[in-house]
Amino acid sequence: MGAHATDHDDSETDGPKVLSVSPRNPRVRTIQIHRPAPQDASFLAATAKGLGVTLRHFFKNVLRGKDHNYIETVEYPEKKVDYPERFRGLHRLMHRDDGAVRCVACMCCPTVCPAHCITIVPAQTDDKGIEKFPAVFEIDELRCVVCGLCVEACPCDAIRMDTGEHAKPVEERHDAVMTKDALLELGARSTAVQGGEGAAWRERK
Amino acid sequence: MSDVQPPQPPATVTLTVDGKSVTVPKGTNVLEAAKQVGVDISAFCYHPGLSIAACCRQCLVSIEKAPKLAPSCQTTAGDGMVVHTTDPQSTAARKQMLEFTLVNHPIDCPICDKAGECTLQKLYFENDNANSRVDVPKVHKPKVVDLGPHVVLDAERCILCTRCIRVCDEVAGEHQLEMSHRGAHEELGTAPGARLDNPYSINTVDVCPVGALTAKDFRFTMRAWELEATPSVCNGCATGCNTEIHHRNGRAWRLVPRHNPDVNQYWMCDEGRFTYHELREDRLAVPTSGGLPASWDRALAAAAQQLQAALKTPAQVGVVLSAQASNEENFALAKLAAAWKVPNVFVASRAPVPDRADDILRDADVDPNRHGVAAIAPGALGMAELEAAINTGAIRALVVLGHDLPLSETGQGRLREIDALVVLAWREIGPARAATIALPIAAWAERSGTITNRQGRVQRQHAALPPPGQAVAGWEALVRLAGATGAKLSWTHVRDVHKDMVAAVKAFEGSTWARDVRPIQLRFANSRG
Repeated sequence: MGAHATDHDDSETDGPKVLSVSPRNPRVRTIQIHRPAPQDASFLAATAKGLGVTLRHFFKNVLRGKDHNYIETVEYPEKKVDYPERFRGLHRLMHRDDGAVRCVACMCCPTVCPAHCITIVPAQTDDKGIEKFPAVFEIDELRCVVCGLCVEACPCDAIRMDTGEHAKPVEERHDAVMTKDALLELGARSTAVQGGEGAAWRERK
Repeated sequence: MSDVQPPQPPATVTLTVDGKSVTVPKGTNVLEAAKQVGVDISAFCYHPGLSIAACCRQCLVSIEKAPKLAPSCQTTAGDGMVVHTTDPQSTAARKQMLEFTLVNHPIDCPICDKAGECTLQKLYFENDNANSRVDVPKVHKPKVVDLGPHVVLDAERCILCTRCIRVCDEVAGEHQLEMSHRGAHEELGTAPGARLDNPYSINTVDVCPVGALTAKDFRFTMRAWELEATPSVCNGCATGCNTEIHHRNGRAWRLVPRHNPDVNQYWMCDEGRFTYHELREDRLAVPTSGGLPASWDRALAAAAQQLQAALKTPAQVGVVLSAQASNEENFALAKLAAAWKVPNVFVASRAPVPDRADDILRDADVDPNRHGVAAIAPGALGMAELEAAINTGAIRALVVLGHDLPLSETGQGRLREIDALVVLAWREIGPARAATIALPIAAWAERSGTITNRQGRVQRQHAALPPPGQAVAGWEALVRLAGATGAKLSWTHVRDVHKDMVAAVKAFEGSTWARDVRPIQLRFANSRG
């Protein structure tokens, strides 16, 4: 509201017949409208005009070729929209250099998870430098609220949500539980330095 | 040390800690005195149950008129002493000591089992929170060293406080751990030719302020912050060590000792710690009738039918109390026997194991409640009489509390010939397998109750876990059984059983029923180290 609205005052002479004007707000008026009888009204002209718009776009899209048309509809699922880079989708588990799981079963992600969707059963590895790994790592994608706190909490870049994929539709609830193998399959080798960068981390710019 | 005698005028000293005046018995150290006025001087090497080493220097405080900072654990509180813990000098000293301790610490908290209950972690967050200024490589030491049957050492995490060495020397009385090398290369290990295999070895894990020593039994199973603690009493022997059950999602994950200066100090034995495993072994979760699962109603109806035939001649009926069950359960069964006018009351108890006895905590008597049941049923007969009564066929019906009925092989065979064998047990072994009717009851960690230890102390076990399946507390199962047989036991809560027991049995005079405790969330508790 503002300047435009006040321009439109009762000094207008064209338009419908004014029956009364509100004393408190002159813009509130009772007017008389004249409508044609149903048998006199015809929408043919308007319909033709609307079809004209549709046809104009149709020919434009057809004639201008695939790369220059105006079609906004995406033919999902053959074609997919690219999500923003930081879109949080399905989880994945990252790999060490040797392909093993990076996760050390520190339990930070199930601790911070507000939806209690992460189940980890830790076990001991033969590697004395790592000691601990998740024997079971399961995420119930139905319970997940996609908050990303697990990724924030992870101290070793083991869990990520950057797959860009939605949780898939499933027929059974238990099919929505992603197992360690499924999570690892989505994963890749992490570029983060294994075991941290040590004391020299400050020198890196 | 924390529960101090009532102060007597000549034997106390008054000192000032951070402006607060505190009066403590003569001989108390400054650290404990400060604790009494709420000043927590955390330290690594000091433990109230051990001798003082003063080697970590984390408890340095300023004492007015003293030439330099003093370790508060080793300094005896003097009259008129003025102690400062927040002055710049001692604060800086403690901060520097912490940085010094952290120089070679691997800071692998994510995979360290102590994380969440670690003194070093706690002090770092409270005091320092700074980055390391050391950029030479850390000294590496052995990891995953197998010290003994129950304990694993990570020498890199060790901060050389020597608490574990003192536990072995002073509590277990065996010199099995030692420091070797010097300076930054100083390292914990077993003494030459020794292994950490004393029966109190896991106490070293409890006292370890960092994650250097971990128990194989608990290691990597649960993070400390996920657990809840419920106070209990060890069911392993007659000593009755005070414990905490650490549990999560209805499952116990470890038992740790709870301080009681009159019973177990700060300690408990390894065997006692493992007793929680049986809570998940061979559990009887539903009533059985003739060896097949049955509903409570059907099992009780069948039990009543079998018992009522025998109860026409009560001399043929026997009742077996249990030296492993709580006082309340035994009292309820003794009451039921009286209501049935059954003259034959026996007590099931295990044979003592003299080999396990020592003069520290472990007792030869492996029944946790022998003294309680003796007070409840003073005239009860023992295992020999029970065996004889079963073998002669004098007993035609038997109501047994508990799964532990150590009979000879003949006796066990004859047990199956008894017309009505009603067993209230939480494990489906021994008599519960032979029973005509078995009723599932809650185990010691799943019900509230008291047990009486060898000193005659009546100690409370709190319910930490839900009983499995359809199991109910023993007293409640007995109330149901009584109702089915037409006898009247009208308790609705275990505290009523306790109240009646205190009124009826002189040995329990003065015993009161404490309220149920809510489990402590270890996530919000201070470090346990």
